[in-house]
Amino acid sequence: MTAWQRAYGKSAVWFLWPALSLLALFVVWPLARALYLSLHETDLLATRAGAFTGLSNYSDLLAEPRFRRAFANTALFALLVVPLQATLAFLLALWVTRPEPSSRILQGVFFLPTVVAVPVLAVLWSLIYQPANGSEMGALNTLMVGLGLAPRAWLHDPSLALPAIAAMSIWQGVGLQMMVFVAGIRGLPKDILEAAKIDGANAWQRTLFVTAPALKNSWIFVLSITTILAFRLFVQPYVMTHGGPGNTTLSIAQFIYELTFVGQDLGRACAAAFFLLAWVAFLALLQRRLLHEERA
Amino acid sequence: MLDIARAFNLTFASRGVRAQLSFFPDFQYVEKLSVAAAAGDLPAVFELDGPLVARFVERGLLSRLDDAFGAAELADFLPSVLAQGTVDASLYALGAFESAAVLYFDRRMFEQAGVTEPEATSGWDWATFVDACARLQRSGTQPLALHMGEAADEWFTYAFSPIVWSCGGALIDAKGSSVRGVLASPTNVRSLRAWQSLFHAGYARADEVEPDPFGKGRVAMDWNGHWMMRAHLAKKGPRLGVMPLPRAGPGHAAPCGSWCWAIHANGEPRRGAIEWLRWVTDPATGITPIVRANGAIPARRSAFAAFPEYARQPYALLRHQLESAARPRPLTPFYSTLTSRFAGALRDIAHGADVALRLAQAEAEVALVIARRQRSRR
Repeated sequence: MTAWQRAYGKSAVWFLWPALSLLALFVVWPLARALYLSLHETDLLATRAGAFTGLSNYSDLLAEPRFRRAFANTALFALLVVPLQATLAFLLALWVTRPEPSSRILQGVFFLPTVVAVPVLAVLWSLIYQPANGSEMGALNTLMVGLGLAPRAWLHDPSLALPAIAAMSIWQGVGLQMMVFVAGIRGLPKDILEAAKIDGANAWQRTLFVTAPALKNSWIFVLSITTILAFRLFVQPYVMTHGGPGNTTLSIAQFIYELTFVGQDLGRACAAAFFLLAWVAFLALLQRRLLHEERA
Repeated sequence: MLDIARAFNLTFASRGVRAQLSFFPDFQYVEKLSVAAAAGDLPAVFELDGPLVARFVERGLLSRLDDAFGAAELADFLPSVLAQGTVDASLYALGAFESAAVLYFDRRMFEQAGVTEPEATSGWDWATFVDACARLQRSGTQPLALHMGEAADEWFTYAFSPIVWSCGGALIDAKGSSVRGVLASPTNVRSLRAWQSLFHAGYARADEVEPDPFGKGRVAMDWNGHWMMRAHLAKKGPRLGVMPLPRAGPGHAAPCGSWCWAIHANGEPRRGAIEWLRWVTDPATGITPIVRANGAIPARRSAFAAFPEYARQPYALLRHQLESAARPRPLTPFYSTLTSRFAGALRDIAHGADVALRLAQAEAEVALVIARRQRSRR
């Protein structure tokens, strides 16, 4: 190591410590504290009185039907939302990057739901899903009746409630993912598309075999972010269904919230939060490993 | 509240006691209070909802008030106010006001449907109530608003527990420590099936969007709290009638309970905290200005003198109910879980869920929480 490198290393510490201390204070310390609480019998109203319980909070959770249900619901939600939202976002991105002047307006229109507060949208969609009360019903059921179909209790039918929330969530979040793909498409070298055209590939083939694979990093980013956001599902079931009917839309985040503030069992709530953190981190790493992110 | 605190501070300035109020929005108040408790940052005196008193007592966060009021003073409080603040025979909380729920009705709509209103203080039994609903429906009027769109879980436990109670049922055992065989008892299943039939028959809507269909003239009866009295009177005038909630069984129980003041166990100075509590629950300095502002029911008998409307109907029924049939929600440290699961069950039952299965699910979930908490205490 040269003298210059040694000096550089010493000064780097000084440049790093403000960021590292903030990181330690606002990220590492709360996480360490939460981990500590998760290993203790901790009551929200008496956080200092917890007795060490080892991993029993974690084993309790795995044995609890309500937690297993919340986990299964959230996983199903992610399975519904992640592929559909990512694919839809890609298709919308292809549409709005066309040269027509209306494309910019469409980008704004599709992006709009992502900047509106989710609770507001959840209330709005509750009205759209409103079941039939005599001649009164929500917009979706009005459309169904207009098409000659029977109206449905979208948010109160155990088999429909979670897909209904998933549909709303896809609509709400697709604009953000679309913008990621738009940025990716704009950054694509034009020559590879032109080369494909010269080779005789039609529009469908160019999209499937050239554009989509060329946006690999965009796909990885979109899939990772959508997966993380899907597992953090909270506002939609909290506002639209309260986790019902019969826990069929209860999410892990809602379960953690209820455990903290309704059950006031902070130890198990922290354990559930760590479980979620570990699971999402595992999925994100798995996705990156499987999709082989390319670094520039 | 600021005026009340200002008057308190003027009176007690010479004694070195000063009240400093902290206001924060009502939204998720209980969560904020819990976080304050977790951080060891509870104020010396604070308000909490009556059903939460037992939980705060369990954790040793509240100070006993037995020495703060004389026997004659306590006898002036409505029995329901004392009951909601008493845990294991000790008083821990007192409120300045009370609440009640009644069945409001529109006399003109009753007349058009050929429905006869009952005597002022005697409500209907279930058969008469259902018959009235059927008559109203036949006359082309939506019979009843039950406010099933209410977001807060507490509405459901508050408003509909009396149906269970009137049949002799309960949400939790008398000790407040077990729901096994209680919450999903055959009695509760029977009474809530009767309640569910209101939705099946189309007498009430499980998905009402309009917050005040009665005030808008869309329904003939409104199952609602005292807080709607002023608004309904303003809209309906002499057409407004009130009666106790209908009984699903032989008993009669009316909902009650509201926000109350408690003193933090480590709150200093305790004497000052007691003076504040006495001030806000005093008929002249606390109850009268608070009740004038929020329209609730005075918590002390002597305070009714300042509210002559309680001498006649419809207000008289609110006081009559509280004096004769009021029953606080369960005094148990597990109340938050109990009310959350019971409300969830009621929402599903209103939408057609099997009553026995849904209550059994709620019972199992609450029992699991109780078992875990009891195990951790050992």
